[in-house]
Amino acid sequence: MTTHRTSKRRLAAGSAVVVAALLTTAGCGGGDKKSEGSGPGFNAAQNKIANPSDKKGGTLKFIGTQDADSWDPQRGYYGFVWDYARYYTRQLITYKPAPGAQSKELVPDMATDKAKISEGGKRYEYTLRPDLTWQDGKPITSKDIKYGIERIWAQDVLSGGPIYLKDTLDPKGEYKGPYKDKHPEKLGLKAIETPDDKTIVFKLPKPNGDFEQMLAMPAASPVRQDKDTGSRYGQKPFSSGPYQWVSYEPKKSMVLTRNPHWKKSSDPVRKALPDKVTLTLITNSDEMDKRLIKGDYDIDLNATGIGQAGRVEALRKHKGNLDNPMTGFIRYAVFPQTVKPFDKIECRKAVIYGADKQSLQTARGGPQAGGDIATNMLPPVVKGADPKYDPYGALENGGAPNTAKAKEALKKCGHPNGFKTTIAVRNNKPVEVATAESLQASLKKIGIQAEIEQYDGSMTAGIIGNPAYVKKHNFGIIIMGWGPDFPTGQGFSQPLVHSKYILDNGNNNYSMLNDPKIDAKFTQAQSELDEDKAAKIYTEMNKLVSEHAVYLPFVFEKNVIWRSSRLTNVYTADSFNGRYDYQALGVVK
Amino acid sequence: MTAPLHDTSAAETAAVDVAANAPAKEIAGRSPAQIAWVRLKRDKLAFVGGSIVLFLILVAIFAPLIVSWFGHPPNEFHDGPETIDAFGGGQPVGDWGGMSKDFLFGVEPTNGRDTFSRVVYGTRISLIVAFLSAIFAVLLGTVFGIIAGYFGGVVDTIISRTMDLLLAFPQLLFILALVSVVPSELWGLSGSGVRMGVLIVVIGFFGWPYVGRIVRGQTLSLREREYVEAAQSLGAGRRYILFRELLPNLVAPITVYMTLMIPTNILTEAALSFLGAGVKPPTASWGQMLSTAVRTYEIAPMFLIFPGLAIFVTVLAFNLLGDGVRDALDPKGNR
Amino acid sequence: MLAYLIRRLFAVVLTLMVVILVTFGIFFIIPKWTGVDPATMYVGKQSDAQAIEAIRQKLGLDDPIVVQFWDFLRGLFMGRDYTSGADTVHCSAPCFGYSFRNEQPIWPVLTDRLPVTLGLAGGAALLWVIGGVVTGIVSALKRGTIWDRTVMTVALAGVSLPIYFTGVVSLAIFSYQLDWVSNEYTEFGTDPALWFSGMILPWVTLAFLYAAMYARLTRATMLEVLGEDYIRTARAKGLREPVVIGKHAMRSTMTPVLTILGMDLGALVGGAILTETTFSLPGLGQAAVAAIGERDLPVILGVTLLTAGAVVVANLIVDLLYAVIDPRVRLS
Repeated sequence: MTTHRTSKRRLAAGSAVVVAALLTTAGCGGGDKKSEGSGPGFNAAQNKIANPSDKKGGTLKFIGTQDADSWDPQRGYYGFVWDYARYYTRQLITYKPAPGAQSKELVPDMATDKAKISEGGKRYEYTLRPDLTWQDGKPITSKDIKYGIERIWAQDVLSGGPIYLKDTLDPKGEYKGPYKDKHPEKLGLKAIETPDDKTIVFKLPKPNGDFEQMLAMPAASPVRQDKDTGSRYGQKPFSSGPYQWVSYEPKKSMVLTRNPHWKKSSDPVRKALPDKVTLTLITNSDEMDKRLIKGDYDIDLNATGIGQAGRVEALRKHKGNLDNPMTGFIRYAVFPQTVKPFDKIECRKAVIYGADKQSLQTARGGPQAGGDIATNMLPPVVKGADPKYDPYGALENGGAPNTAKAKEALKKCGHPNGFKTTIAVRNNKPVEVATAESLQASLKKIGIQAEIEQYDGSMTAGIIGNPAYVKKHNFGIIIMGWGPDFPTGQGFSQPLVHSKYILDNGNNNYSMLNDPKIDAKFTQAQSELDEDKAAKIYTEMNKLVSEHAVYLPFVFEKNVIWRSSRLTNVYTADSFNGRYDYQALGVVK
Repeated sequence: MTAPLHDTSAAETAAVDVAANAPAKEIAGRSPAQIAWVRLKRDKLAFVGGSIVLFLILVAIFAPLIVSWFGHPPNEFHDGPETIDAFGGGQPVGDWGGMSKDFLFGVEPTNGRDTFSRVVYGTRISLIVAFLSAIFAVLLGTVFGIIAGYFGGVVDTIISRTMDLLLAFPQLLFILALVSVVPSELWGLSGSGVRMGVLIVVIGFFGWPYVGRIVRGQTLSLREREYVEAAQSLGAGRRYILFRELLPNLVAPITVYMTLMIPTNILTEAALSFLGAGVKPPTASWGQMLSTAVRTYEIAPMFLIFPGLAIFVTVLAFNLLGDGVRDALDPKGNR
Repeated sequence: MLAYLIRRLFAVVLTLMVVILVTFGIFFIIPKWTGVDPATMYVGKQSDAQAIEAIRQKLGLDDPIVVQFWDFLRGLFMGRDYTSGADTVHCSAPCFGYSFRNEQPIWPVLTDRLPVTLGLAGGAALLWVIGGVVTGIVSALKRGTIWDRTVMTVALAGVSLPIYFTGVVSLAIFSYQLDWVSNEYTEFGTDPALWFSGMILPWVTLAFLYAAMYARLTRATMLEVLGEDYIRTARAKGLREPVVIGKHAMRSTMTPVLTILGMDLGALVGGAILTETTFSLPGLGQAAVAAIGERDLPVILGVTLLTAGAVVVANLIVDLLYAVIDPRVRLS
């Protein structure tokens, strides 16, 4: 055996090379030589149209990290699906193709006009436009629309989508869905009538001022019965819009091309500029940001905002390609009142006062990528919201914790030295985990020992949506986010605070808020057909919610999103959570 | 991909040789262990590795003390404007990831936690999980290996098939899946304790067949040796033979195997933490730091480099030491 | 020989059965212990009691595990139908299950992703076997020299690096900084040159990890073999050194290398998780990680089964090959 002469020096030299290489990369930020001209300017697509154009042709390239929950119009619930669905589905009415807040207005799509409302808001009648065609050239009839809507009732086959229409038209659930329908044409739902192919009538058991909002969702899209493949419909929906499906491989790719039978004359909304729309799905979001910045793709389908590293680079070198819209989401913590000591309002207040809102905002991504520090539980995009209403002084001292008030509240709730609790957070959202850590750190300063429990994010409905589970596992603080399904108080707050939404599974009223006064506000607002009057009622409702101190809102969310220099006709739409209005996009080349 | 445990053949030869040569060495009046120790001391690379290992163990034990002298509490946020640029991407303020007298290794992006303190505390998690899971694997492997080798027959078949089966599982995938469904309170533990416990048990559980195979092979060959037969003919009980005659001869290969298993386990723990199945936040672990760091290395390269180096140095040190131990226990001197 | 083969094949089948059973158990029993209803995974933001019940029925979540296990086995060979009364989907044999997340059978997902993983594992294996064995042999022949020690130390350093670290660093340098290679996976059929460009970094980083191990293993075995009597005899007979090494010594050296290659390749089929994650390769490992995140049991089960299958089959092939390579081995 020979003795070793040490090769320590080589080893040291080797590691030095690695470090040097990394630092060079780090110093240069990577890929700067590729900056392809600057875009039209920071926030150029906010409240205005960037690169307006009517030029047709080219391929619009989406990239994303998350596939749809389902591309089936009746099953999709992700916000980006609703935006994207306008490529291949049409509705009776839809959101106005216009920038910013204007997009919240409803305009007729397949219908000639907005509804003729009669019988005190219980009857809605629409007439269809001429020239509406499916991708095979056959006409779209009122029966196809009825059939499509009926599919919502088949929750046993087509779960996952919004069920507002079902709850509104048939609150008792008497209809069993088209697959169990004895009617020869499977059109047995009594609440919808189709006196002829061009007329459709909805009969509501009681008025709901937001009914047209529900009809604007993709869930109200037509589906033709002979093309309905049941649970597999989302694999290849049959198009009523300007584009049709060519190929789709889940979690990998999708290609849409023009629907040759769609007529521009029949559609006052959709621009249909590109010849082809492609979607590539990968799993690594930082990789996605890099490819976007490199110019390989045009736009992030999910629009969840550029990640940390990409953001710094983009802000530094490509600021003109960025927009910073408000998404309509509120990121918050909620306190289930069933879990001790959160049954006592003063203990809840202690957490609200003790939280460092600025640190939470930083954890969310700071003022630009995280959003504005939130003051209450109604996002600014919803009518009736008042961000200046700040009952717990979230904005005081730049969002710093109010230790004095927190300590006082702790004394009042009988735990002057703090208490122990658990923060429940989804394990698949690193930013939410970051906020949990921030909250944990600031609560520690007032003596509250919080442990972070990362639960399986795919099981949300069965874990935090299950009040028994929440109580058993002592989840005193739950971190979540919520965005409006449609931009009204009903579309945002109802599932969160209305007592009828307390469910055994899939609960969204995590705080178990059960206040008849709040419930009454919803009834009152829904019977109000005047939007402005309804908005005032929601303002009052929101104040009642705040007084219960069951929510600690973090931010009114904002995202930094990327728009490639190739894109034309770009604008962000409040109606689609601040995403770009996908149907309007075109590309140069 | 963690580095699979492979150097089995060499470990096996080492063991056989120790056993074979043992009587010859007795004449020189030095036990095999003494010989091995002398050889190990002469191996400079192993010495370096051993010293680093010792240093790391001390760091792990005295982490609170070290941090109180040179750093900040590992979970303390420093996300004010003097350390973190919240308006941009949450990157550390200043050159070199915010490295300064105050923050020796800079700060973590977004929350400004002290990287130095977290790397130091991360040593604890890595070493505890790696050591305990290795011990667990060795215990299981030795027990089942001896049983299989000594009793043979049906017992052997069952144990051997079980080992084959475990080796056929896609380990990392399986551990990942398993950790994700484990409840938050288990065995009377809660918090990070549960995750650590689960990591130790699961990593150890998938590691024992490697040990088991070797021990079984050794036992099989040792069983036929004269001295065991002699003991049997003298009327020694099974227990006596197992513990007094067989086990001592297995110490060498088991030692080798354990030292080589530790670095692999460190990598596995880091990989699991990297994939999000490690200890709970805010507990610091290297893999979890890296998983944040790969998302932010352009804006905070030091935050990638320090935990990366920590893993590299630790694993390398254990490998050097393990290599040395193996050579020392292998008197054929292949070097 | 035939009897041996049959016995081994029987063992293979048995192993796979147990793998299925264990995987099944873990994903069906543990969530039940934790008190979370697996059916709630498939409902959306607004869930509906009727929907939860229907899903439970369709997936057979209320059936005893043995029944579920039997259904799965039958599906593998005969295909099966999933039905909730109103809606039926058919999954033809070999039915590895049906993903209710994506509403599609698993088998096409697996076959679609398999080529990516095979390409990664195969290319990397080629590199690491050639690199590892050659350096190992040279090291063995030049034992004790500076070259030997340097190479072996570098090899040791190589196994000590986590691939997600080296992967990220190499991507940063060679793709984003220097732009020498592609950072994106392209299908071979679309553009072979781009495919190659996108695979170089994953191959090299993965191969580096293994080459180090193979070099060490080859060196150790070679040294051992060189000390054997028959090599001495061969030399004594006056055979030229290249013949002794190349023909006689190599054969025995290759036996352990082959054993391990079999196991590694098998394991890589499902186990290149970190490489695929780091380099965004749409392979099996990536599918599995995503499936774990979504609790898409059929995908997890499929990948596990495929990997386990690959490992046991690879082991079988290796054992059969022994007889060819090493004349001392007889199958019995």
